[in-house]
Amino acid sequence: MASCVKDSISDNHFELTIEVPFPSQREVSIALQSLSPDREPGTGGTIKTLSTSVSALCVKWNAVEARSLRVSVGSFLDHLALVMETIDAFGQPALQCK
Amino acid sequence: MTVVIGFEGSANKIGIGIVRDGEVLSNPRRTYITPPGQGFLPRETAKHHRGVILTVLREALDEAGLKPADIDCVAYTKGPGMGAPLLTVALVARTVAQLWGKPLVGVNHCIGHIEMGRLITGANNPTVLYVSGGNTQVIAYSERRYRIFGETIDIAVGNCLDRFARVIKISNDPSPGYNIEQMAKKGKQYIELPYTVKGMDVSFSGILSYIEEMAHKMLSSGQCTAEDLCFSLQETLFSMLVEITERAMAHCGSQEVLIVGGVGCNLRLQEMMGVMCEERGAHLFATDERFCIDNGAMIAQAGWEMFRMGQVTELSDSWITQRYRTDEVEVTWRD
Repeated sequence: MASCVKDSISDNHFELTIEVPFPSQREVSIALQSLSPDREPGTGGTIKTLSTSVSALCVKWNAVEARSLRVSVGSFLDHLALVMETIDAFGQPALQCK
Repeated sequence: MTVVIGFEGSANKIGIGIVRDGEVLSNPRRTYITPPGQGFLPRETAKHHRGVILTVLREALDEAGLKPADIDCVAYTKGPGMGAPLLTVALVARTVAQLWGKPLVGVNHCIGHIEMGRLITGANNPTVLYVSGGNTQVIAYSERRYRIFGETIDIAVGNCLDRFARVIKISNDPSPGYNIEQMAKKGKQYIELPYTVKGMDVSFSGILSYIEEMAHKMLSSGQCTAEDLCFSLQETLFSMLVEITERAMAHCGSQEVLIVGGVGCNLRLQEMMGVMCEERGAHLFATDERFCIDNGAMIAQAGWEMFRMGQVTELSDSWITQRYRTDEVEVTWRD
């Protein structure tokens, strides 16, 4: 997973952007829709925005506290890895039946 | 024919089941078992589910002898339950629904228990006692809702049993409740405990505090055995449950009781409920651990009912929720 990380600190504000490349547009769209529905827990003041480019998933965080940013990024990466494993394990039959 | 796959993982069990028109084709499950004296925490439970979910999914398909193309709908537990485990399971359900091009249905966990109980036992319109580690409710159907007639005002009955098991270090394998049930059979002496029925509701936290406080003193002084405590706790808790169930039956004029949820496979509870039913000329329905304890097929079955009525959950609405009351769901599949 190649990622581009930008970490800027201004006015006690943290920002992080990562870009996750996928083999195809279809897989990016699946990952986006699987990972988008759930809101961030309200307390931390962390905002996570998901979007897609051609065949990459882009995630941007804006956070007030470094700690809550770290928690959010950590759990997001866990979720992303699970979605990717699921695509690897169960994606093939769908392609065959299409 | 309608084939639905159901994903369940709201607590320490992860299960995936496939149901085809009332027939359970497969229903594999794994349980996260903690050492004696320890409960299961959201983070560790989610990690457990994550580690086995794809294996369980493969098993569910293989045992049913189905290919993803044979499935019509993907059902998953939307809530209530622990957030992290719910989310882990929902992520996989969302992903396979998209991979296979199938609609998604978000199911209320409690409704899953009720519909599975009705399917397995054939109970038509029962008063339902739903008892598990996270929930204690007496439910009856009326006007398109499963209405809650009585419930716990603090902790669930299963939570009371589980936490008592931790206090005296009873094993969590296969489950603390099962081990308490076996020990209770050897209990000889009834120790009086608080009995807290408040109208149609029950309260268990005071009983737990009381027994936590006195257990070690009584055990170390030899006044009673651990078996006596298990016996006394079960008798007290289950009497309370039978009392509120009977009151709900009298209210509704119901002649059927259905016990669902993990505590529902306790044979002593079933026996006590059976005595009450016999006295009223009513009928008791209960299931064994395969379907009482959280499983995937129950989510598939409730999903099957919903899907047949044309209900689907859009991906954008497929968020999970830790709180989701039984009576929030409109029951479109019953008259």
